[in-house]
Amino acid sequence: MAEVKLEGVTKLYGRKKAVDGVSVTCREGEFLSIFGPTGAGKSTILKMIAGIEEISAGTIRFNGEVVNDLPPQARNVSMAFESYNLYPHMNVYDNVAFPLRAPRWGLKLDRAEERRRVTEIADFLGIGELLERLPQHLSGGQKQRVSLARALVRRPEVYLLDEPIAHLDARLKFSTQSLLKEFASQYGSTIIYVTHDYREALALSHRIVVLRRGAIEQEGTPLEVFHTPKSDFVGRLIGEPPMNLIDGEAGSREGEAWFQVGDRFGLAIRGPLAEGMRACTRTEGGRSVARLGIRPENVRVSRTQPGPTAFQLPVYALVQEAQSTVITFELPETFFYVRTQQEIGSANYRVGEPLWVDLDPAKIFFFPKTVPLASKA
Amino acid sequence: MSQVELRSLWKIYPRGNVVGVKELSFTIQNEEFLAILGPSGGGKSSTLRMLAGLEDITRGELAFDGKVVNHLGPAERNVALAFESYALYQRLSVYENIAFPLRARGMRRAEVEKKVRWIAELLDLNPLLKKYPGSLAGGQQQRVSLARAFVRRPNLTLLDEPISHMDQRLRAEIRARIRHLHEEMHNTTVYVTHDQAEAVSLCDRVVILHKAQLQQIGTVDEIWNRPANQFVASFVGEPAMNFLPARLRDRASVTLPQVDHGAVLSFQGELEPSSAAEVTLGIRPQEIKVLRSAEVANTLPCAVRLLEFQGESTVLTLTMDGPAKDSVKVAVPAGEPYAVGERLWLKMRPESIHLFQGDRPVLRRRLLS
Repeated sequence: MAEVKLEGVTKLYGRKKAVDGVSVTCREGEFLSIFGPTGAGKSTILKMIAGIEEISAGTIRFNGEVVNDLPPQARNVSMAFESYNLYPHMNVYDNVAFPLRAPRWGLKLDRAEERRRVTEIADFLGIGELLERLPQHLSGGQKQRVSLARALVRRPEVYLLDEPIAHLDARLKFSTQSLLKEFASQYGSTIIYVTHDYREALALSHRIVVLRRGAIEQEGTPLEVFHTPKSDFVGRLIGEPPMNLIDGEAGSREGEAWFQVGDRFGLAIRGPLAEGMRACTRTEGGRSVARLGIRPENVRVSRTQPGPTAFQLPVYALVQEAQSTVITFELPETFFYVRTQQEIGSANYRVGEPLWVDLDPAKIFFFPKTVPLASKA
Repeated sequence: MSQVELRSLWKIYPRGNVVGVKELSFTIQNEEFLAILGPSGGGKSSTLRMLAGLEDITRGELAFDGKVVNHLGPAERNVALAFESYALYQRLSVYENIAFPLRARGMRRAEVEKKVRWIAELLDLNPLLKKYPGSLAGGQQQRVSLARAFVRRPNLTLLDEPISHMDQRLRAEIRARIRHLHEEMHNTTVYVTHDQAEAVSLCDRVVILHKAQLQQIGTVDEIWNRPANQFVASFVGEPAMNFLPARLRDRASVTLPQVDHGAVLSFQGELEPSSAAEVTLGIRPQEIKVLRSAEVANTLPCAVRLLEFQGESTVLTLTMDGPAKDSVKVAVPAGEPYAVGERLWLKMRPESIHLFQGDRPVLRRRLLS
């Protein structure tokens, strides 16, 4: 196991910065996720750690030792890619056993021990039945699990996993995610994990690095990233539906801080939140503008007015899930989502019906505007 | 819009004699929003393609409003389609793409314009009407594809995994739009998906296909609370339903021989008279309560093995006390802190328990509505 340290790591493609001065340490035995939208530079970072992509500037260290100039085979890492990269002429068994046979690790396992290790990891990932098959006879989900098994069969210094479960269907994704977590806790391995799926990042990681256009936007534990997102960008990356972002005018009314959204509604902002709003307020075309964020779970709706801060909106759509209902409202620039805890059959709101909407003041965030709203784009 | 009836439909592919769909019978009610749900290779695509007229029906009858349409092509059946891959005409503008099915039916110019403007308004496409598909983002293209499918009132609207590859932000949005469109128009709509959450959240009724066969058709409440077999029980809901071996003790309770020296759990519902002693107990992760101390009735001791934080909730994997060390998943609100290794007690409410024998349910449970 190794500690992996990145210092000012940068990748240039021509004049374009794909990765921009990333400094982060993955501690020994840590599960670190690199999380962000497509094109943020996640895979490029992983490839530089593996040694298959050159580093334009900065240093990468394994246990303190600079590895910038080491070729991939001289870095003791195991990788699984989103594109499975299986050897098409080898069956599943030989594909998974391949890293165990590579002379440079000097494992020299006897046949029985090799079979034991391959079978163990294959059974663990639910592909024990497929060992004799060729890759061409596997589904995408099966291939991806073979690729993952091949990465996990050996005990390297670092595991580098790039979207290793992205192509599994929903059901299998969830169970394989649990298996990965189980694997990580059982072997205490150092794992660097690339994903665009917030559920995987939250569930698996000790720490998460949120990447935005090649640079680190936020670094923290899953709880920190979820409960104290540093920006509207981070807030909106998490949740389904994601955090609601609403732009409005920050001002005051009758001596109280006030947030006004068009002519639709406004709310009094009290206590320390007023300070937060002021800190995020910018001047835009002569108006003082701020952006409010709130998760769909932290809004209550009702037919009768619940309190002085509530406002009314007509229902745009009702989407009833197994244990809750997502109520969608339409705002000028975006949709506004509310998740209410309701069991199947108990929802009785109607489309077009005006409902009272009340935001939980303890769960409101204010951000400077850094992402375009245009979610109705 | 039509009522669509599938009467013992078979699809057999001559190459390799592969059975795509086996004796499939169900009815899509007029104005209904129905999901066809199942794992890949279960028969969804074959069914969709036979409904659309893109694939021959090997045996059986397909009827629209009582009239058999087996021999009719897609246009004659008057079916509208929207695919995961959008399938937009790249050389036509957004306006022309949406207008296409109307013009193909010989609608007058003024009428076409009125219709296109109306659906564009509904889907916020007005600023995009003059653009070409190539210059649009994925979510925008999917909205154009939906507009084309919903611009007229066909006999049947088919949506094939229209949002499965989108990011969560677009998914939430397109879901809301589809549901809104349905409330506006009440088209008879079939939504094909492998994602149970999608099917459950969007549709009024769900058809579940697996291994080329119908497993169950019912409302979400029926599918959730009265699954027709163990496959349906485990396929719908996330994380999946937990299953534990159990033995009937009397008409209202079971023992779990492998848990805590034979724990006793009582259950509610009508037990099938002929059911054997050995059964499988099923319970959903969302319907188990977690306690920090033992209670007398219906609690089982366990220890925390894994924690998976999901934002608003946390999924715990727990190892039950007992020789088999069975594991059970429970979804708990994320506010409460738990630690790996911590000892807990599970409370299974009698009304939350499912019982199966082999693949079949033997306990008739109460529905919510």
